[in-house]
Amino acid sequence: MIAYLIKRLLGLGFVFFLVSIVAFLLMHSIPGGPFDEAQMPLPAAAKANILRKFGLDKPLHEQYLIYMGNVVRGDFGISFASPSETVAEVIGRTWPVSIALGGITAVIALGIGMLAGILAAVRRNSWIDYLVTFLATAGLTIPNFVIALWLILVFAVQLKVLPIGGWGDDWRQLIMPVIALGLGPMGIAARYTRSSLADTMTADYIRTARAKGLSESMVVMRHAIKNALIPVITVLGPMVPNLITGTIFVETMFRVPGLGKYFVTSVLDRDYPMIMAVILLVAVLWGLVYLITDMLYTVLDPRIKLA
Amino acid sequence: MEIKDPKKNVMTRRAFLRSASIGAGAAVLAACAGSPATPTSGPAATLVPPTTAPTLAPVVQQATTVPAPTTAPAPTTTAETTTINGIALPADAGPPEQQVFVRYFDNTATFTSVDFMVTVYEGGGNAFRDLLSDSLVRLDKNFEVQPGAALSWISNPEATEWTFKLDPNLMWSDGTPVTADDYVATFQYSGSPEAAWDFAWYYSAPGAIVNWDDAVAGTKPVTDIGVKADGPNTLIITTATPAPFLPAKLVYSATLQAAALKANGPRYNNKVETSVSSGPYLLKEWSIGEKLVWEANPDYKGTNKPYIQKVINIGAKAETFFAGYQAGEVDQVNGEYLSTADNDIIASDADLSKQVRLTAQDFRTDYLFFDTKTAPFDDIKVRQAFGHIVDRDTIIQSIVTPTQGIPAYSFLMPGFPGSNSEGLKDIQGYDPEKARALLAEAGFEGGAGFPKIELWLRNEPPVRQAVAQAIAATIKQELGIEVEVSNKEFKTFMEALNAKPTQVQFGMVSYGIDYLDPSNMLGVWLGTGRHNWQNATFDEMVLKASELLDATERFTMFQDAEKLLVEEAPAVWVYHRTVADVMKPYMAGAALEKNKGGFSGLQWPGFSAYSTAPANLYINDTVGELREQPPE
Repeated sequence: MIAYLIKRLLGLGFVFFLVSIVAFLLMHSIPGGPFDEAQMPLPAAAKANILRKFGLDKPLHEQYLIYMGNVVRGDFGISFASPSETVAEVIGRTWPVSIALGGITAVIALGIGMLAGILAAVRRNSWIDYLVTFLATAGLTIPNFVIALWLILVFAVQLKVLPIGGWGDDWRQLIMPVIALGLGPMGIAARYTRSSLADTMTADYIRTARAKGLSESMVVMRHAIKNALIPVITVLGPMVPNLITGTIFVETMFRVPGLGKYFVTSVLDRDYPMIMAVILLVAVLWGLVYLITDMLYTVLDPRIKLA
Repeated sequence: MEIKDPKKNVMTRRAFLRSASIGAGAAVLAACAGSPATPTSGPAATLVPPTTAPTLAPVVQQATTVPAPTTAPAPTTTAETTTINGIALPADAGPPEQQVFVRYFDNTATFTSVDFMVTVYEGGGNAFRDLLSDSLVRLDKNFEVQPGAALSWISNPEATEWTFKLDPNLMWSDGTPVTADDYVATFQYSGSPEAAWDFAWYYSAPGAIVNWDDAVAGTKPVTDIGVKADGPNTLIITTATPAPFLPAKLVYSATLQAAALKANGPRYNNKVETSVSSGPYLLKEWSIGEKLVWEANPDYKGTNKPYIQKVINIGAKAETFFAGYQAGEVDQVNGEYLSTADNDIIASDADLSKQVRLTAQDFRTDYLFFDTKTAPFDDIKVRQAFGHIVDRDTIIQSIVTPTQGIPAYSFLMPGFPGSNSEGLKDIQGYDPEKARALLAEAGFEGGAGFPKIELWLRNEPPVRQAVAQAIAATIKQELGIEVEVSNKEFKTFMEALNAKPTQVQFGMVSYGIDYLDPSNMLGVWLGTGRHNWQNATFDEMVLKASELLDATERFTMFQDAEKLLVEEAPAVWVYHRTVADVMKPYMAGAALEKNKGGFSGLQWPGFSAYSTAPANLYINDTVGELREQPPE
């Protein structure tokens, strides 16, 4: 197991390296740069000076090596779009917020989704099944920006029962972003759980379990769910890094000061240090989540061995 | 007070500046007379162009002193209703604790400084800023130049050396006085190549500060620029060419503190601990992307003492601005952030309609432009054909909506000094027949042989995407030319536009004023500007007119230059933006009484030390009906 872990972590390091090269090349290949004129041309000498100041006048491979050298030392540079902070400070300020919002959403959305999926599978073709299927499909198909605007208009503007946005002042500020962020994952969790559990429920060993005289709840809880969860975890695991790194739309709509917006604004601003930092962060998170997912398989199904 | 000798030439120039501004205001008035105040009753912004071409006012002879700041008349007050600066609140004002003005800023916009002299384009969308010191001059709601940190000014007869007498009472919040050295240090910072100030071009020609361009380029030390102190309270600015408009241009001159600049760098105001103010407000909180809170500066000694005691800026996504306004969280939403759907809701709601306030904003004009150096737009007939194909009236009525814009047939908006909208109207008038004939003369009859073209937009919102699509459809229908509209991301667009040679063959973009003089707007079309069109006659006229001291001669030359611009058609003018804000009914004060143009919104340059708005805006005593508790 230890050897397996070391092997996987080394692989992760290689992926990190590859991602850094691809991201670096891609971000420098898009037109425009961080210090392009917004309206009228700047004198060439002034522009050259600022490029020199940030090392952007050097050949790309040199810039890359300098950057990665700094990263190894834990220095991710200074954000061009927030020059009074280092990139590490920006992430330190915003990521915990996204982790909190995403974590709460993950627990609630995936919890409710899986529970609803189980109910729907157990009560197949009943009204519960139809209701869960309807809600799951709605959650999957309605974009979160539509849900977000609708929630604001109904609950903040018309009914005035929820604050329109904000973070950290009032627990009710969590309600709308959690719903907007969570409906999609909840739908996916419900659909996959239902489908996986429904398949499992037709397996021979379930019939055997029933034949033994076990109650239906014991059959489901002890025998079916564990097996049904393997494909569910494969799908839901990677949702977690998505949720805990935030999404621009939900965070900016509800004024949650999280990391999500930097995935988009850093590219629009050509904020190179920030682009690299968020991409590398996501690369590491995804690598770790896949590793954890693989390890969870062994817990759920002892027949699976990691080697 | 100073200074002025009415017999000297300089007074004529001072007076000229005032008169130009007055002329602008008067023209807006003339243009807007009789226009309804709300959008429900039809086109509110019917800025009918003035009937006479030039917006010149006769030179005022008796302007021997600098005008007094346009603070609201002293109202009836009681001892309890004074502000922290000891200013009496108007009789109908709400209690001091309710003197809080709340607005949103766009939480996705880049926001790296609250100081103009550090950055202009990274100033957050709609953020309150430039409140921490006074600029040398400020503008009132009629766009007239008023004293700011400079209580008076005088120039030499050539209008190349300007002496500003600073208000000796101004103090920094750390107890040190504001001196001319602060202004010198600020200009030296902004003009340094290290700063690469995104507005560095502003103090270039016309009326460039001496050695400014060399300093920006790094070929001369920044200490050589023509901004010098002569004692603690005298600032002398010299320009390379006569610059009769310099005071108007110096609206953008709010100083940084030299000591803080040296100790903590240009962004010392990004943190409350290192922030220092000599302006009407103190920075109390800046949570990046979330919130800014400003409180009235109790030690402010300037001439812009505010009624509003607290200013709050909440970071929000632009799409939610109007919802937040409806929920009562903010007091104002700038019309630029209102969607077509928002405007429809406003127009159909009697209460909201009454909250609409019109502004001329920054006299912004949206236009199509061409790369005139390459085929097919190197042929003037092709460009002129496109000029006759834009059906502005229909575009305004059915897409832009009449509260938010008026048709444009030339660059300078009605009401802008030197505007000649009526005189130039026919040159690019809508005339498909003529357009087809011109295209045929250029060898593309019925569009035959004309390449398919792409119309680039600069990250425009849906309304202007729709405008572009409508124009593209008309071009296809009337001229038989395929046009694909492509809304580009901002930086991609600007890099391609500013590339030499330009990479944008056909685009749509806008431009608004930086200072109220044709030299600014027309300067965009100089050979050194951002568009790939060069005309030596035009350049000569604009640069020469900029330096002329005789107002009539000056504006006539500007008008000739603009006529040439419209005739040569490097651009097709589409519409001038008027902007209809919404503002809560408890917002009051002289700043919101109709200006000479009939506009009752918060006029450009808005609520900042660049305008007299802080001293002329308050919350009235009806606030309790809509806002029970003052916002935190």
